[in-house]
Order: sequence, then structure tokens, then C-alpha cells
Amino acid sequence: MKERYFTTFQLILLALFAALIVVAKIALRTPLQLPGHTGIFWMAIIVMAAGVVTKPGAASLVGLTSGILAALLGLGDFGALDTLLSYTAVGIGTDLAILLLRSLDSLVVCVLVGALGHFAKFLVKWALGALVGVPVGFVALGQARSIVGYVIFGGLGGLLGGLTLKALRRAGFFAYLAERR
Amino acid sequence: MQKLSQRNRIFIALGILILVALAVLGVDALRRSAPTGSAVGPEPTLVPGGIPIYVDGRLVASFTPADLNALKKVSFTEAAEGVVQEGWLLRDIIGLHVDTGQLKPDALITVSSSSRNKSAQVTWAEANDPANWVMFDLSNRSTLKLVSTLPKLSTRDQWVQDSDKIEIVTR
Repeated sequence: MKERYFTTFQLILLALFAALIVVAKIALRTPLQLPGHTGIFWMAIIVMAAGVVTKPGAASLVGLTSGILAALLGLGDFGALDTLLSYTAVGIGTDLAILLLRSLDSLVVCVLVGALGHFAKFLVKWALGALVGVPVGFVALGQARSIVGYVIFGGLGGLLGGLTLKALRRAGFFAYLAERR
Repeated sequence: MQKLSQRNRIFIALGILILVALAVLGVDALRRSAPTGSAVGPEPTLVPGGIPIYVDGRLVASFTPADLNALKKVSFTEAAEGVVQEGWLLRDIIGLHVDTGQLKPDALITVSSSSRNKSAQVTWAEANDPANWVMFDLSNRSTLKLVSTLPKLSTRDQWVQDSDKIEIVTR
């Protein structure tokens, strides 16, 4: 029998991470009025997911699943398609960054993966906006502010995810996971 | 790729991030300097990225980023999702360019978005009441989003994202 790419156990874990992203998006609020500030929460979760299930495509699957959930729940200001594509882009961006940077063992790599993954979300939102003829940003250098916000908060999220992975490694969670596989 | 050191990989990743960010800013600058009217909608605006204000069908002004310096920034927390909306009151924006003393309470203000094919209408009395928080919030992509605590403008579906036109019918 042909072996499946993701085991059932891994799929369950990834689905839980996807649900956690949507719950975080709904429940966790920060008083920050800065673009991309929610990246702190969800890049931490995506980086954790990619660190727990170390197969290419794991982050993309979490992004796609959370995107479907979020679109169905009506999250996001700019419609279901924007929500679905931007959430999926976070996953794909994270996977591509991990493909380039290899492993999530170092915190520097986690920060970069978080920043790149979250920047992919900004890119999709920006591209969709340009495609549908959204007016040029009202405030000069508004896009620069958005880019900086997305990169910084994505990086912070990556750092949080990296620290959590480190703590899980120390606690023997990965040895436990290896047994479950 | 296999021979690349981790340090070089990190530099490549940083390079990609910076290059793409610069490309986005470059395209945005091009769009900003492009002749007016093409991307914004059928009507010309006085300033690229500015929002035209019409009174009884006549273009009277364009609300521009420079106007923001003259306006007070306000914020409120919306009840449904607990999101803080921060920006500028519609009545203050109109007041910069229109003699609001001449507006009757039932004057109708329509704020619309050509790219989203969306609009919302409020009367001058509603917009002029600070308790209604009829205001523009600056979205993540630096476009303006009309929000309010009025029941007809209080949910995400009712907000006017990417607003690019203000029309006033004095009646």
C-alpha cells in the first residue's frame, strides 16, 4: 500500500494548528493600531506547526485550512477571496522560506521565516488590491509603514514560535511525537 | 543550493525580502504619480490618491493627505469585534472644504468605493453627531475605510473599505 505523505496523526495536528490560528484571530486583541500586528499570534503558530510537522507543505496546509475556516466565518475586511488567499499565502511563504533556510533550529532562522511568511500575506493583499483597482494608498509612504509592520510583527511571531519549539524540544515533546508516528 | 552555508542562505532570504519590498514601493510610487482618474474611477480627482468631494454633483474639492494635519485624530472601540477604529471624523473632513453651516440636517452624504462597488449613506445630522463616530479608519493598505457605531454601518459587511468618493446632496 502506498504510504501517505502526511500521517493521520500529523493531519490532526495541522488541523488543530489551523483552528488555533482562527481562534487567535478572533479572540486575541491587541491595542496596537499598526498594520500586521496580528502576525505576532499567527506566525508563532505557523512556525510551531512547521517545526512540529517537519515536512514541506505542512505550513501551506495549515494556511489553506485556516484560510477556508476564516473565509467561512467571514473574517477579514476585504472579502472571502482575499482572506482565503492571504491566509494560504502565509503558509506557502513560510514553506518557501523554510525550503531556503532549511531547519527551524536557530532562532534567527525562525525570525526570518516568520518575517518572510507574513510578508507573503502582505504581498497577496497588495497584489489583489492593485488587481481590483483599489485607490492608491491615502497616506504617503503608507505601504512602507505596512511592509515594516508586517515584517516586524511576522518576525516577532517567528521568534515566539521558535522559543516555543525550543521549550518543546527541551521538554521531550519531539521524542514523544516520534513514538506516535 | 546544497553547498550554500546557512549564513549565505540567511543573506539571500534578507535580500529577497528587501528586493520585493522595494519593488512594491516602486510600483506604488508609479501608481501614485500616474495621471489621475485612471485607477481611481470614472471621475478625475484633483490629487492622485485624494478623495473627491462633490456637492450636488459639482466637484468642490479633493480631500488629500495634507489635510490630515488640520484634523484631530479620534478613535473608538467597536462593540461587535472589539476592534479599535482610529482615524478622522467625516464631519471634520467635510468641514474643511464645505460650509457646513449651509448643510441641512437631512442633507445626504454618500461615501463610496469604486473598486468594491460599495457605498453607504448617512444624513448630515448623523455624521455631525460625534456619538455616532462616522469616521474614516486607515486600513492596513493605507486606504480609507468608512466605519461608525450607527446600526447601518456597524459591521464589517457594512463598512466602506477603499473609499474613494464623497458625494453630498443638499436637498
